[in-house]
Amino acid sequence: MIDQLREHLLAPRYIGWLLDGWLATLWASLLVAAGATVLGVVIAAGRSSSRPALLRLTGAYVSLFRNTPLLVQLFFWYFGAPSVLPEAAREWLYAGHLLSFEFLSALVGLTLYAAAYVGEDIRSGIRGVPVGQTLAASALGFTRVQVLAQVVLPQALRIALPPLLGQYMNIVKNTSLAMAVGLVELSYASRQVEAETFKTFQAFGLATALYIVSIGAIEVLAAWAARRQAFSPGRAA
Amino acid sequence: MGGAAAGVLAGARRMTVIETLWDSLPYLLWGAFPEGQLGGAALTLLLSAGSGIASAVLGLAWGIGLATATGALRTALTLVLGFFRAIPVLMLIFWTYFLLPFALGVSVPGVLSVMCALSLVGGAYLAHAVHAGIRGIGAGQWAAGLSLGLTRWGTLRHVVLPQALRMMLPSFINQWVTLVKDSSLAYIVGVSELSFVASQVNARTMIYPAEIFMLVGAIYWLLCTGLDRLANGLAQRAQRGNWQHKSFSRKGHGRFA
Amino acid sequence: MTRSKFIVSSLALAAGFFVLGSSAWADKLDDVKKAGVLRVAAFDGNPPFGYIDPASKKQVGHDIDLATEFAKSLGVKIELVPTNPANRIPLLTSGKVDVVFASFTITDERAKAVDFTTPYFLVGQQFLAKKGVLKDAAQIKDIRIGTEKGTTMEANLRKNYPDAKVVLYDDSPFALAALRNGNVQAITNDGVKLTAQWNAIPDKEKYEIPAITVSREYLGAAVPKGETRLLEALNTWLVDSEKNGRALAIYDTWFGPNSKAPLPRLLKIGDQRVAAN
Repeated sequence: MIDQLREHLLAPRYIGWLLDGWLATLWASLLVAAGATVLGVVIAAGRSSSRPALLRLTGAYVSLFRNTPLLVQLFFWYFGAPSVLPEAAREWLYAGHLLSFEFLSALVGLTLYAAAYVGEDIRSGIRGVPVGQTLAASALGFTRVQVLAQVVLPQALRIALPPLLGQYMNIVKNTSLAMAVGLVELSYASRQVEAETFKTFQAFGLATALYIVSIGAIEVLAAWAARRQAFSPGRAA
Repeated sequence: MGGAAAGVLAGARRMTVIETLWDSLPYLLWGAFPEGQLGGAALTLLLSAGSGIASAVLGLAWGIGLATATGALRTALTLVLGFFRAIPVLMLIFWTYFLLPFALGVSVPGVLSVMCALSLVGGAYLAHAVHAGIRGIGAGQWAAGLSLGLTRWGTLRHVVLPQALRMMLPSFINQWVTLVKDSSLAYIVGVSELSFVASQVNARTMIYPAEIFMLVGAIYWLLCTGLDRLANGLAQRAQRGNWQHKSFSRKGHGRFA
Repeated sequence: MTRSKFIVSSLALAAGFFVLGSSAWADKLDDVKKAGVLRVAAFDGNPPFGYIDPASKKQVGHDIDLATEFAKSLGVKIELVPTNPANRIPLLTSGKVDVVFASFTITDERAKAVDFTTPYFLVGQQFLAKKGVLKDAAQIKDIRIGTEKGTTMEANLRKNYPDAKVVLYDDSPFALAALRNGNVQAITNDGVKLTAQWNAIPDKEKYEIPAITVSREYLGAAVPKGETRLLEALNTWLVDSEKNGRALAIYDTWFGPNSKAPLPRLLKIGDQRVAAN
């Protein structure tokens, strides 16, 4: 009876593959979330600026990266982009001195894609900050950059936290596409396990469960953050 | 037969980039049609439109369910919707393509199983938008409907829903744009939509990967931007004269990926 | 609260499907004859076994010819389903296709999940690399190697060269693109496919197939597990086609002296496997 059960479960080494893939997913998601937030702030600032050139440039960025599928973007960064680099640069990249090229191109592709969405959410956050704050800060002698960095952005980020956490959840899910460009993350590992053991249900089931655990953790964080915001007095809404 | 083999295996004269792209454009746009099944960008549009309609229906039903159900049923519904929003679309396509037929005992063709997966995910997101829309209609509307003698369902159908749906129209069209992009994942199960035929073309021509993916990206961009403009146009017409400017597609867990 | 409920509910949902799915399938051969269609999974990116002909936009190739003639012998039409290596077994087990004809290596592990016919092709696992990169087998562990998910190539490399850096792609065109870009320094696949790919690249003088063979691969067609009548019909047809020369004729179309990838024939259908894999 135990043996029958064991036959249906995955052997420990395959569970190990899946867990390794899960760690890669988490690590990649963390890096992408960080990078996308930083880039998103830059884009949001650009979208809120009064200079038409900056406005148009960031507008084009957002349009380009939001209206093309992530899969095509990843293919482009992995298969297409290196061909414009000189041979020596390419060799250095592929040798994977710091990061494997699969990881690097996936990071670039995922970050640029996520930044377009994060940027728009932060921009909504910036719009939600009462204009009185900006006026008061300018009256106090802050430069425009200081107004943005020290007064508006902290409040904007707090306002934008719910949609931002939603974007971070999307980032975790989007890492699954990186399997098409050879990144050994969770979906890639689940296909590998399935191809070797033919236990389709178990391999996909465990992978799905791990994704849900990850997303669930962010949801819990979101709920906790919402509750904290509701109870803190004197914060700008 | 030998000639067909020679076509690919012979080292044909190296075509220029423009020639290659121009040559492949029909296959990218509509696949093997009319000699074979419809594919390429045309299939992408059909796939996303079908999923869009199905997810709109599901989203409406589930959204109304969220707004009106109570207790255990509501918890179960919330959990199911949470599951569909937490699972990566790629994984859900694996499930519907490989395991659903196993469970149901019938074979489900690739296009239908991808539509099924996309509709479930899209419906889950739209359900929350519908729910928020129904809740966003002022209490005065509910009260007015009830005081006119309509039942709760009647108020829902004749007073609240029409207003809510008009406000949510942009949400639905945004969902269609997202579905156009998500349909690219169908390549993993061999559905010949645009990304799949693009990789076939790339396999055949071999020497212009960057150009081919840029062309394919441009086609997607045109499709999505066109739909987006349509959404904005409709949203403006719907909101004209409506002082309640709520934008349901951007609150909380808006789905942009 | 949220997290554990998520896990429990999704596992329950999945378990429900699993329980429902214990229904038995009807006999496949009868189903095929009744429907009048044989659904066959074949490659669409692996010349000359299966690929898309640029002129007719149809799937053609050695495996497809075999499958078409088998369908004719049953008196049914053929419906081709394009596949990549990783989808072959799932397509069979989920009932989406009746037969897999996609240069499918016969292994004992796979034989637990599907039923194989007698081998109809013999290949060796080899490498395709830029000239001068790979000169002997000892270098394998030092270079980056690309191959496809769901193939025996990866398993063989892991068994024989556990230190090699292997990157898996979804299908051979992606692996070839990676080789040409430089993402990987060599790709491994069966020698026949590599030869065909090599012959098709515009700058083939820069690449070579070194004289290194990792293993012998016997290719067979596959049917769902337990479909003995379908398997018998297929085996009988394969052996007969060897006897009446059809198998040789199809072979010559794609690999004969006048084709674009001439290759001496290593296996006659009906020969027993020489080495276990």
